[in-house]
Amino acid sequence: MNRLAKKYLRPSQIPTKACHGCGIGMIENWLLQALDELDLKQEDVIFGTGIGCVGRQTFATWGGDNFGATHGRALAVATGLKLAQPDKKYLIVVGDGDAASIGTSHLIHAARRNLGVTVICEDNMGYESTGGQFSPTTPAGYVTNSSPYGMVEPGFDPCDVVMAAGATFVAETTATQWHQTVKVVRKALQNDGFSFVHVRFPCNENFGAYALGTRDTVKNLEWIYEHTQGRKTDGSETDFAWETGVKRDASNSRPEFSRLLRDMNARVRADMAAKAQAKAS
Amino acid sequence: MLATDLGVKETLVAPWMDWAARYTQGRRLLEAGTYALTEGAIAAGCRVFAGYPITPATDIAEYMSKRLPQVGGYYVQCEDELAGMHACAGASLGGLKAMTATSGPGYTLMHDAYGWAITNEIPLVVVDAMRVGPISGITGAPGQGEFYIARYASHGGNFETIVLSPASVQEAFWLTVDAFNLAERFRTPVTILTDQVISDMWEDLFIPDDYGALDFVVPRKHNLAMPFYPVGSDALDVPPNVVGHGTGVCVSAYTHTEEGYDIEEMEAQWAQTYRLVNKIRHHRDQLARYETLGLEDADVIAVAYGANARTVKTGVLETRRRGVRAGFVRLITLWPFLDELFERDCRYLVCELNYDGQLVREVTRAAPDKRKVHFMGKSAELHTVAEVVAGLSGIAAAGRIPELPYIWTEVR
Repeated sequence: MNRLAKKYLRPSQIPTKACHGCGIGMIENWLLQALDELDLKQEDVIFGTGIGCVGRQTFATWGGDNFGATHGRALAVATGLKLAQPDKKYLIVVGDGDAASIGTSHLIHAARRNLGVTVICEDNMGYESTGGQFSPTTPAGYVTNSSPYGMVEPGFDPCDVVMAAGATFVAETTATQWHQTVKVVRKALQNDGFSFVHVRFPCNENFGAYALGTRDTVKNLEWIYEHTQGRKTDGSETDFAWETGVKRDASNSRPEFSRLLRDMNARVRADMAAKAQAKAS
Repeated sequence: MLATDLGVKETLVAPWMDWAARYTQGRRLLEAGTYALTEGAIAAGCRVFAGYPITPATDIAEYMSKRLPQVGGYYVQCEDELAGMHACAGASLGGLKAMTATSGPGYTLMHDAYGWAITNEIPLVVVDAMRVGPISGITGAPGQGEFYIARYASHGGNFETIVLSPASVQEAFWLTVDAFNLAERFRTPVTILTDQVISDMWEDLFIPDDYGALDFVVPRKHNLAMPFYPVGSDALDVPPNVVGHGTGVCVSAYTHTEEGYDIEEMEAQWAQTYRLVNKIRHHRDQLARYETLGLEDADVIAVAYGANARTVKTGVLETRRRGVRAGFVRLITLWPFLDELFERDCRYLVCELNYDGQLVREVTRAAPDKRKVHFMGKSAELHTVAEVVAGLSGIAAAGRIPELPYIWTEVR
C-alpha cells in the first residue's frame, strides 16, 4: 500500500474488485494526491459515489465517512447532507451513467444551486459493469454490446451541460494526464461551490474489447491519448478530439447553496427578533 | 349522536391520548390538515423539508418554506420527488430530522429512495396525501390507492414498513410527532398515508405553546461506534448513524455487513433481512394505533381508515340506533397490519376509497371466516352515511350488501 493509500483509504477494502488494467484505482490515487497537497485530513472529507464500475470500485475504499447512493442519486443525497454537514469537503466520485444519464437532472440542479461539492465524473464511455452497453458519452458510431452496428445517437458532453447550468468550476482531463488531473482536482476542491471534473479512462474488458478491438491496457490508453491530442502516433488526424483542461474557473464567485440558506435563516430570525422586541417596547 | 348515548364501548389506542391530556396550554386554531402536518413535524424537531409541489400536498411545502427558516431549518424545493426523498435521507444521515410530502404520482417516484433509506436504516417521514388515480387521476378528489404500495415501498422484498393514517386535522398533528418518534426508534422511514380530504379540510386544531417542553418527542441521537448496522438483531432504540462525525460509517445500496461494507454472501443477506423485518415485527406491540367501537357484541363490523372512517363511523352509530349490533374499526396503524383487531368471528364490511379492493384483502386474510368479509368500494368521494347504513343493515339482515349505485362490492 502506498503512503497516500495508508493515509486516506481503508486497508480491508483495497485493492478493489476492479478488472485488470482498470483506470479507477489509478485515478483514485490521483484524487488522494490532490487531497494530500491541500493538507486535507480524512475527517475533513465526505466521500460519495453511485452505482456502476465507479461506484462499486470506490465505495468504502475511502477510510472516512462515505456513502454509495442508488444509481445517479449521489448529488441528491449530497444536497441534503450538505445542509446538515456544511463544513465538510465533498468528493463525489461517479461514472458516466450516474452523471450523464440517470442522474443528469440532479447534476444540472446541483450546478445551478452551486452546491458545495466536487464531482469527479470518471467516464469509461459506456455501461461496462453490465457488460459494455453504450452510454450518452460513448462516441457516435462506436460499436458496443448494445450498438453492434455502431452507436447511432450523437454523443453528449457533461461539461457543456454543467457550464450551461452555472457550475463555478469545470475541467476535463483523461487517464493519460496525471499531473493535470491532480492540479485541476486541487483547484476544484478549493472552490466553495459546485466543481465538476470530467476524467475519461479506458475499460479494457468491454469498451476496449468491443469498440477498440483490444484488451491491451497500453493500447487503450494510447487511444485515449491520441484523442486527447487529436493526432495518432503515426501523425494522422483522429476521427475526433477532446478538448481537455480547465473549461471554466469562476471559483468562489457566487455563494454556495447551503450558505445562501443559512444566510436567509439568519435574516428571517433577525427580523423576527426585531419585531418581537418592537412589540415588547 | 355519541357512542355513549347508545351504551357501546369506544376505544382509541394511540400515544397522543396521553400527550393531549398532559399538554393543554396552547393555541386553539381553525386550520387545515396540511398545516397540522407541518406543525406536527416542526414540533417533532423536523429541520429539513425537501420535496416537489403536488396537489394536495403542496400546502405542506408552502408552510414548511415559511416555518423552517424561523426555527433554523431548511426548505429545499427539489428537481423532482426522487431527489426530494434522497435529499431528506442525506439530511437525516447528516443528523437533521427530515420530512417530505407528496401525492400518488410523486410517491411512485420515491421508491428508489425508500429502498435506500429502509436498507440503511435512515429515519425520516414521508407524507402521501392520496388522491384518486391511477396516475394524475383527479387532483382534487380523495383516494385510497396506496395501501399496498406504502407497504411495499421498495422492490426486492425482505423488509417491513411502518404506515400511519390520521382521520382528523387534530390527529394529523399528534400523529406526525408520533411518526417522527417511530422513525427515530425504529431507524426507518415512516409513511403518513393521508388523503385529499384530511389534508385540505379545515377543522379545530389545538397546538401546544412550547414545542421545546414536549417531553414525549424522541430526540435525535448519534451512533458513534460499531456496529453501524446491527444485522441479525431486532433491537429497538439503536441510535441512527451519522455521516460527518468521522466514525467511518459506510452507507450504500448494497447488502451490507455491520460496518456497512458491500457483501455478496447469503449469510449476510439473511442477517440483514432478519434486522429489517424483525426490528418491526418483533415490536408490533409498540405500533398499535386504532379506534374501535362496539366490538364486544358486534354482529357486523365496519372497517375503514382516513377521511372515509368519519362517515363510516357515523353510519355505524346510526345503524346501532336502528337496532343492529354494528361495530367499527378504524385503523390508524395500517402497517404492520393489526391482525388482532379482526379476531371476532362475525361479519365485516370494509369501506375504502377504491373500486379494486385493497384493505379488504388484508381483512379477509386476518378474519376468522373469509366468507363473512364484505367489500364496499367507493371511488373519488366518501361513502355517505346512508350507504353505510344500507350496507351494514343488509349484511345483518340477509348476509349481503343491497345493490347501490356507485358502490363496488366484488373483490375476486
